[in-house]
Amino acid sequence: MRRKRVCFVGYGSTEYSRKSEEPQLGHYATAIRAALNQTGLKKKDIHGLSITTQASPDTAPHVAEQLGFELDWVLNADYGGAGGVGAVRRAADAIECGHLDVALLVGGNSFDRSVAHQRPLEYQRGNFVDVYGYGGPNSLMALIQRLHMENFGTTLEQIGKIAVAQRFSAMNNPQALFREPMTMQDYLNSRMISDPIRLFDCVMPCSGAECLVLASEEKARQITDKLVYLVTDAEKVHYQVADMLPEKTTFGMKLVGEKIFSEVKRESIDLFEIYDDYPIAVMIQIEDFGYCKKGDGGKFVDTHDLTYNGDFPVNTGGGELSVGQAGLAGGFLHVVEALRQLRGEADGHQAKKAERALVTGIGWLNYGRNLGTTVALVMERRK
Amino acid sequence: MAEARAPQKSLPKINPVDRPFWEGAAKNKFLLQKCKSCGKVQFFPRVACVDCFGELDWIEAKGTGKIHTFTLVRVPRNPAFKDEVPIYYINVILDEGVIIESRLLGENKEKVKLGDRVKVRYEQTHNPEIKLPCFELAD
Ligand SMILES: [Zn+2]
Repeated sequence: MRRKRVCFVGYGSTEYSRKSEEPQLGHYATAIRAALNQTGLKKKDIHGLSITTQASPDTAPHVAEQLGFELDWVLNADYGGAGGVGAVRRAADAIECGHLDVALLVGGNSFDRSVAHQRPLEYQRGNFVDVYGYGGPNSLMALIQRLHMENFGTTLEQIGKIAVAQRFSAMNNPQALFREPMTMQDYLNSRMISDPIRLFDCVMPCSGAECLVLASEEKARQITDKLVYLVTDAEKVHYQVADMLPEKTTFGMKLVGEKIFSEVKRESIDLFEIYDDYPIAVMIQIEDFGYCKKGDGGKFVDTHDLTYNGDFPVNTGGGELSVGQAGLAGGFLHVVEALRQLRGEADGHQAKKAERALVTGIGWLNYGRNLGTTVALVMERRK
Repeated sequence: MAEARAPQKSLPKINPVDRPFWEGAAKNKFLLQKCKSCGKVQFFPRVACVDCFGELDWIEAKGTGKIHTFTLVRVPRNPAFKDEVPIYYINVILDEGVIIESRLLGENKEKVKLGDRVKVRYEQTHNPEIKLPCFELAD
């Protein structure tokens, strides 16, 4: 539980594009401008800046200079898909400590070809994985999905239901790149990428940016009357790292969930903004959080409505699977969507009850196990 | 301006930590690290025991194990592999109790299922000094 109160006071998003070569900095500026306009804050009110991207070699201090921010706090939140929720945790720590009272947290991606996009593969991926002709993250998640299907009898239809439900929610989300209906047959018939992962299990890379504004409670009250609090948050890095025979279908989210639900009731969550680089990753996280037994995720999705107006709303804006994955902004999308919902601003896809949301981030598929980083938070609207 | 070259298959960037492993593979030996303090066997090569941070020795594995899970790669990350799709990318549980990521080769690889016994098979790369430990189904 947070010792002092930290609030989410605003957000800004760009449009997402599959073709734009807008430089990374341009996307940042668009998202930040939207967040400043929403909150009424001026640039001089911002004392902290966090940057998460893989599309530019410029780290947070460089970006701060380019954008003209004089700061008391700066962060490179470089945790893969966990970068959004991870940045929130670290900014909240700094606000609690009194280092600053308002922070901008920005994630983005760009197809600007004038800068290097691809980082070299890390040692273990380069020397012991890529040499065999693997297919990137799609292949590593396929290894996990096959085990889940074989060990627990999970079906493609059960996994596909997550993608289909999220698409339904995306149909009225103007930010989503994919808004046409998707049927189960569309999902099952989509092209095989790395068995059993098929095309509609995968996210569409795109460019764009997301910006979050975090503030101390005192400052938040001056900015908005829509007060959304960070209630609790937890993180696990390299779960099972010393276990040479790890449980590949259990993520570190199991321990994150135990910590989170020691502080808030599991049944008190209205919305589930669950990092969705793949539908199987959503299913495993639902199990890890204890909403059903390990291996029963398929049966769980069979018996629940996962759409934004369902009884267990998952990724109410369509998630990365339907909105698109703007690189590491993907880890911010879920926080921003939760904030939209809790503020009652999710036009066209607003959930019926939206007071408390669980938001997750996962990052790095690691060697022989599953995820390097798993992080989650609970946020809540209070009067 | 440099001539455009066809993409090359990925090779390990061998460093002092994993050099013994690659030198072993070049001689058809599958080497694993073993902790001098707690006896734990580990892979991939590291500078310390992943469990107790102890110092490490190298031991030779039998090179046998079973299929833990697998995928058929249709779209390799490195396009140099695209003529070989589908690539049978596997996780093997070695008999020493360690998971290895690798590739399944052999005429009968299409028959693979979880739990199948496999044995190591060393594949020469385009670098004459580097062999890759791959696997094939054991009879
Ligand atoms: Zn040890």
